Amino acid sequence: MRLDIRYRCRFDYDQPVRESQNELRAAPAPHDRQSLISYRVATSPPARVLTFEDYWGTRVDAFGVRDSHTHLEVVAESSVETRPQPLLTASPRVERLADPAFLDEHVEYLQRTAHTAWGPTIEAEARQQAGLVGPDVVSVVLALHRRVATTFTYRPGATYVGMDVEELCTRREGVCQDYAHVMIAMCRSLGIPARYVSGYLFTADDSTGDIPEGEMVEVQTHAWVEAAVPGHGWIALDPTNQQEVGERHVKIGHGRDYDDVQPLRGVFAGSATCELDVSVEIRKGTVTAAPAPTPRPHRQAQQAQQQQ
Amino acid sequence: MLARHAESLFWTGRYLERAGDTARMLDVTYHGLLESPPDEARRAWYDLLEVLDARAAFEATHGEPDAASVSRFLVLDPGNDGSIVSTVGRARESARSVREMISTELWEAVNTFYLELFARNLRHDLEQQPYELYGMVKRRCQGVAGTAVETMPRDDGWRFLMLGWMLERAEMTCRLLNVRFAQLVEADPTSGFHDWIGALKSASASEAYRKAYRASMDRSDVVEFLLLSRTFPRSVLYCLEEAERFLGELCPPGELTHAQRLLGRVRADVQFVDVHELIDRDLHDFLDGAQFYIRGVAELVATQFFRHHVDLELHALGRL
Amino acid sequence: MGQDLFDGYATDGFYDELLTADGEVRPHYRALYDKLATFSHEELARRERLRDAAFRSAGITFTVYGEEEGVERTFPMDLLPRIIPADEWAHIEAGLVQRVTALNRFLDDLYLGERAVLHDNVVPRWLLTSSAGFCRQAFGVPVPHGAHCLVAGIDLVRDADGTYRVLEDNLRNPSGISYVLENRAAMTRVLPVVFGQSRVRPVDHYGASLLRALRHVAPPAAGDPTVVVLTPGVYNSAYFEHAFLARQMGVELVEGRDLVIDEHVVYMRTTRGLQRVDVIYRRIDDDFLDPVVFRQDSMLGVPGLMAAARAGNVTVANAVGNGVADDKAVYAFVPELIRYYLGEEPILPNVETYLLWDADQRAGVLDRLGELVVKPVAESGGYGMLIGPAATDAEIAEFRARIEADPRNYIAQEVVSLSRHPTLIDDHLEGRHIDLRPFVLTGERVEVIPGGLTRVALRRGSLVVNSSQGGGSKDTWVLAGEGQPLEPAEEAAS
Repeated sequence: MRLDIRYRCRFDYDQPVRESQNELRAAPAPHDRQSLISYRVATSPPARVLTFEDYWGTRVDAFGVRDSHTHLEVVAESSVETRPQPLLTASPRVERLADPAFLDEHVEYLQRTAHTAWGPTIEAEARQQAGLVGPDVVSVVLALHRRVATTFTYRPGATYVGMDVEELCTRREGVCQDYAHVMIAMCRSLGIPARYVSGYLFTADDSTGDIPEGEMVEVQTHAWVEAAVPGHGWIALDPTNQQEVGERHVKIGHGRDYDDVQPLRGVFAGSATCELDVSVEIRKGTVTAAPAPTPRPHRQAQQAQQQQ
Repeated sequence: MLARHAESLFWTGRYLERAGDTARMLDVTYHGLLESPPDEARRAWYDLLEVLDARAAFEATHGEPDAASVSRFLVLDPGNDGSIVSTVGRARESARSVREMISTELWEAVNTFYLELFARNLRHDLEQQPYELYGMVKRRCQGVAGTAVETMPRDDGWRFLMLGWMLERAEMTCRLLNVRFAQLVEADPTSGFHDWIGALKSASASEAYRKAYRASMDRSDVVEFLLLSRTFPRSVLYCLEEAERFLGELCPPGELTHAQRLLGRVRADVQFVDVHELIDRDLHDFLDGAQFYIRGVAELVATQFFRHHVDLELHALGRL
Repeated sequence: MGQDLFDGYATDGFYDELLTADGEVRPHYRALYDKLATFSHEELARRERLRDAAFRSAGITFTVYGEEEGVERTFPMDLLPRIIPADEWAHIEAGLVQRVTALNRFLDDLYLGERAVLHDNVVPRWLLTSSAGFCRQAFGVPVPHGAHCLVAGIDLVRDADGTYRVLEDNLRNPSGISYVLENRAAMTRVLPVVFGQSRVRPVDHYGASLLRALRHVAPPAAGDPTVVVLTPGVYNSAYFEHAFLARQMGVELVEGRDLVIDEHVVYMRTTRGLQRVDVIYRRIDDDFLDPVVFRQDSMLGVPGLMAAARAGNVTVANAVGNGVADDKAVYAFVPELIRYYLGEEPILPNVETYLLWDADQRAGVLDRLGELVVKPVAESGGYGMLIGPAATDAEIAEFRARIEADPRNYIAQEVVSLSRHPTLIDDHLEGRHIDLRPFVLTGERVEVIPGGLTRVALRRGSLVVNSSQGGGSKDTWVLAGEGQPLEPAEEAAS
C-alpha cells in the first residue's frame, strides 16, 4: 500500500527561548515489508540538519536553533510502500528460547528498562496466560497480546510517560505506549525477547471499508510490539487495536522501549512555557510501479542543508 | 576570558562594595538618630530604605520602620537581596566560581569575611554593639579590596573586578549624598558642623575632607568634595574616572562602545557640573540621573561582555 | 641512631617492597634506607612539617565544601617514596602499552568498525549488549586516530611473589594525576638529597604530553585546535584536579554552560564573543554530557554536543562509551582481546576472576564467598565491594542474595595479598598494603607517565587503598637505567 505521511510538530513559547537542540525520529525505516520512496524534513526557524542512522537503524535528524525564537516547527514528509506480514509457518516450543545463540543475539530485548521494569504482578499474569495455551512461543505471544488488547481500556490522559509498568498493569488503561510497554514487559518476564516499535497507523474507517485515494486522514503517532520467535524472526502485533501489524502500519524504528525511539527529543534554554501541537496526516497514495529499493542511509554521518 | 568568569568578577566587586556601603550608611543613620524624636527617625529610616531601593521590599514584610527593624532587614535578613548577609554570601559565591581566576589570598580574604560574619550572632550584635559590627564589615571590605590590590595580576579579570567595584561605589556615593542631603538640608537648612561631619563619615571621608578644606564646613564644599574630589577615592568623579580607565582597557581600540560612550557622558556630566547651582536647584534630580546612567553603564557592560553567557535553565521538550 | 625507625618492623610474610624475605634491603632502596638511617625522630618530624608547608605554599590544600565550610586539609602523602627500578618499569610499561593499545582497538571495532570481535566470538555478544557501559549513543561517532582511551588509569597490584597484575582498568575519567605531580613537587623538597642521587625519571611533562595528545585527536579540519577542560563545576570532588590540569596545559577550564552549539559546531562564550572549540577534555560522565541524548535532567552538560561530535566538528576525550571496556566482567576477557587484536601474549596478567553468570563458576564462588573479593561490574572507586575474609556473616549472606538475583552484574576475584611498603605511622615505620595506578596517554603513540599514583591503605591490615575509602598516597620513583636518559628525547627537545 502506498502511503503519504505528513508529520508536523510545533512548539509555541510564551517567551522567547534560545539554544534549542533536538533529535527527530520520524522517518519510516526501510525493511523487508516496507520501502521508503521519499523523505524530507523541514524546520522553522530554518536549521542545519545532521542526518544519521542510530544504533537501532533508525534515521535521526538532529538540529538546533541557537538564536532567540518563539516557535519551533518541524515537518517530516514521507512516502512509503508497505506490504503485509508474511504468514507464520512455524511455532517453535518455548524451550527453544533458551538456545544460547538465540539468547546471545536477543539479550538486550530481555532486560528490564525504565519503562518495562516488571515486577511480580506482571510476571504472574504473564505466566497464568501462558499456562492457558500450548507450550509454543507464538501461542504464548498471541495470548499475551490478546490479554492486553482485551482487558485494557484506551483512555488518553489517564497515564503519563514514565509511569511504572506495574502500576499501568493495575490501572488497565492508557494509550498505545502503555499497551506496548505492558505487553513487552509480559513477554520479557517469560523470556520472550520483545521490542518497542514507533510508527504511524493509517486508521481508515473500517466500517465503510475503503478510503478514496488522495484523501488526507488525521491520525496520531502510534506504538506497537515486536516479539522474537526462534527460527522465524520478529512477529509484529498491535495490542492497542488487537490486530496483527499489516499494510496500514508504517514503522519508524524499534528499541528496548519508548526512550530509544522517542519521535522528538530536545531541550531549550529559557523560562518559557510552551504549547505543543503534534499532528500526523496520512493519505493513501496512487499505486505506483514497484519502487526501486531505497538505499539505506550511510552509516557515516552526513550533513545536509535543509531549508523550509 | 570566559563571559561567565568576567561576570562573576564584576559582581564580586559590586557585592562587596554594596555590603561595605550598606554598613556605612546604617552606621551613620543609626548613630545620627540616637537622640532624635520618633517622627524624624522614622522619616530618616524611610529615606535610607528609599536610597537603597529597599522600601517596597521592606514594607511588604514589615510595618513602620524603626532602628531595630530596618537594621535587621538590611543586615541579617536572608530574604532581602540587598542585606549584608545576602551580598556577602553572593560575593563569596561569585568569588568561588572564579576561584581559579583570583589569587588565593583574595579568595581567602573573601571566605574569611564570610565565615566570620556567619559565625556571629548578628541579632545580638545589632542590639548590643552595632557600631562594632558595622566597623567589622567596613574593615573586612577594605581588607578584601586591599588584598585584591596587593595580589591580583593586572589582567582582564582584575579589570572586570575593579570595573564592578568602581561603578557600584560611584552609585553608592550618589545615593549617600542623596539621603544625607535630604536629611540635613531639606529638613533643617541650618544644620551644623556635626551633621556634616556625619555625612562625611558615612563616606569614610571626614579626615580627607578636613585636609582639603581645613575648617570650612560649607555644605557646597561637602557636596563638591563627595562629588568631584580627585584625591578622595570614594568621590563620584574619582570612581567614574577609574571605571572609565578599566573599561577602556577592556575594550578594543578604535570606536567607542555603547558602554564607553555612556560612561564618558555621565563622567562629563559630573565633572563639569556647577555645584552651587546644583544645590540651589536640583541636586536630587541630578543625583537620580547620575545613578540611572551608572546603572545603564552596568547594563551595557553586561550586553557587551556577558551577553554570551546565559544561565541556562534547560527544559526538556514535552515527550511526544 | 635512626635505625630504630625500623624497630619492630616485620614483613609478616607479605611481599615487601623494601626488604627481601631474608630481611635484606633491596638494592634500589639502598640510598633511601641509608638516608633514613641517619634521621632522628626530630628530623623526621621536621621533614613532615616541610612536606605540609610545601603543600600549603603551593596552594594544595583541599577545601572541603558542603557542611563544614572552608575546612582545609593538606594532602595525605607518606614521607617514604615507593621506588621502581628501571627493569621492572620497562616490563610494566610494555604491558600497559600493550593493554591500552588492545583496548583502543576493541572499542574502535565495537563502536565504529565491523564488530569483528563479536563475529569471531572472542567476547560473547550478550555480555557487551547487557553491559551498563555499552553506549548505543556512541555508535558512529568518529574518534580520530582511534584514541578512545586518551587517558587511561590502569590499577596494578603485586601479589605474594611480587608479580605485577592488573586489578582493574579505568577508561572513563580516571583521576589522580594531579596527586602524582603534587607529590613529586613536595618530595623534591622533603628529600632533596636522596632524590638528587637517585636518577628519578620526571613526571612534570604530563601537562605538555596531555595537551599534545588532545591536539593530536582534534578534528582533521582544525588547523590550530582550541582545547578546553570541561568540569562539572566547583562542587565536584575532583574539581581541584580539573583546574590543575587546565592550568598545567594553559587552556580554559569551562563548565557546560560556558559552551554553546551552533550548526553542530561548539563555541565557548567569552567576553569577546563566541570562540570555536575543537577538543573537549571532559571530566563529566557520559550520562551527563548531553541532555538531548543522555539524561534529560542534566544541567552539567552541553545540549547538542553528541551531534557536534558525530558531525566531526569536535572531539570529546575520553571518547563516549568506554565504560563497556572497563566493565569488570569484560575485564576478564582483556587477555583474550590482547591475543585477538595484537597476536601477542599478555605481558601483565589479570587477577584470577570468576564470572558469576556461569553456573559452574557461580556455584564454586558461592561456596567460598568468605575467601574471595566480590565486586559489582560497573562501579569504580572501591564502592560496593565485599572483601570475604573481612566480612561478617550477614554481609556474606547479603552478597549471596545479590549475586543470585543478578549474577551478570557481579564478579568474584581471588584475594590478592597485596605487596606492602614501609609507611610512617606516628613515629615509626609499619608495613602497609599498596597498589599503583599508572597513567597511560594515547596520542600519536601510547605513552606511560613514569610511575603513577601509589596508593596506601593506611589502616593496618586493610586492603582497600582508594582515596575515597581513607587511603593515602606515596610519591612513586621510577629509576632511570644505566645510560638511559631521564627523559625521552621528545620531551627533552621540547
